[in-house]
Amino acid sequence: MTTEEKEEKIQEKWEVQLRKGTLELVILAALQHRTLYGLELLKLLQSFKSAAITEGTLYPLLDRLKREGIVDAQWVQDGDTRPRKYYSLTATGHHKLADLVTLWRQSVLDIEFLLAHPGPAILPVQGE
Amino acid sequence: MEQRDLIYKYLKELERYLARLEKAQAQEVLKEIESHIFDALEQQQSSDQVEDASTILRGFGEPRQLAFAYVAHITDGAPPPAGFKAIQKVKQGVTATLFYAMAVFGFSIAVALIFVAGAEVFMPDSVGVWSAGNGNSMAIGFLAKPYPAEQELLGAWLTPVAVVAALLVSLLTRQVLRQLKHQR
Repeated sequence: MTTEEKEEKIQEKWEVQLRKGTLELVILAALQHRTLYGLELLKLLQSFKSAAITEGTLYPLLDRLKREGIVDAQWVQDGDTRPRKYYSLTATGHHKLADLVTLWRQSVLDIEFLLAHPGPAILPVQGE
Repeated sequence: MEQRDLIYKYLKELERYLARLEKAQAQEVLKEIESHIFDALEQQQSSDQVEDASTILRGFGEPRQLAFAYVAHITDGAPPPAGFKAIQKVKQGVTATLFYAMAVFGFSIAVALIFVAGAEVFMPDSVGVWSAGNGNSMAIGFLAKPYPAEQELLGAWLTPVAVVAALLVSLLTRQVLRQLKHQR
């Protein structure tokens, strides 16, 4: 394996970890003020580079979120179409989203701050 | 047609692996996934793509793994820590001993009752149920020096009563054994 391939692999691994860690936030964000059924949600997520997940990841996760009372699901049948299960956020889900968003923004701020203040000088204390 | 077969085979297999969920829950999961697959298939058709179920199914992963993701919450925390294995073994041993002891105990009572029933027919004088000490104690079975006849309870009725009791005892023993077997 060349160094380049190795680096690529490490990067890929990190990407997978990042996607895994943010997945719940991504799904909650996607369902914000919106009701979607599985396939719609999947297509929406797959249209973003960092949120592309598979069916096999999405559905069990939705099942778990539903069991935890974070999302609500309802079967809807429009006319002749196949019945579809639509997901939306519950009140708990909205709270959870707000919490995760706070954590996410803090994390981005912190990382951006570090990136904006590269070595060798001592870091200024944040907020001063 | 071949595409449908592929899908039904997948769903069938998934259903098998979802058996640990409650039936209604498993059906709900299957219904949703089936709905997704056929929706996605229709979308392929309407965008002039070739109908390709295997690509969609690949997104869901192996049925066993997909089912595992759904069932994971049931197994979460369920497997006992490694040290508990010994306790499990001991428990199993106790259950085995209990199982055979119960079998011997229950069925020997039944056999004894049948024996008493038969003996009553042939030796009505020395077999019976007696009440002694004004009902403070009771004797069932053979007595070399039987109590006076008027103190004997049941009399000739002993045979049918003992047979019925034997049947009840063996039925009960069988039920208990079945439960014990379940526990093992």
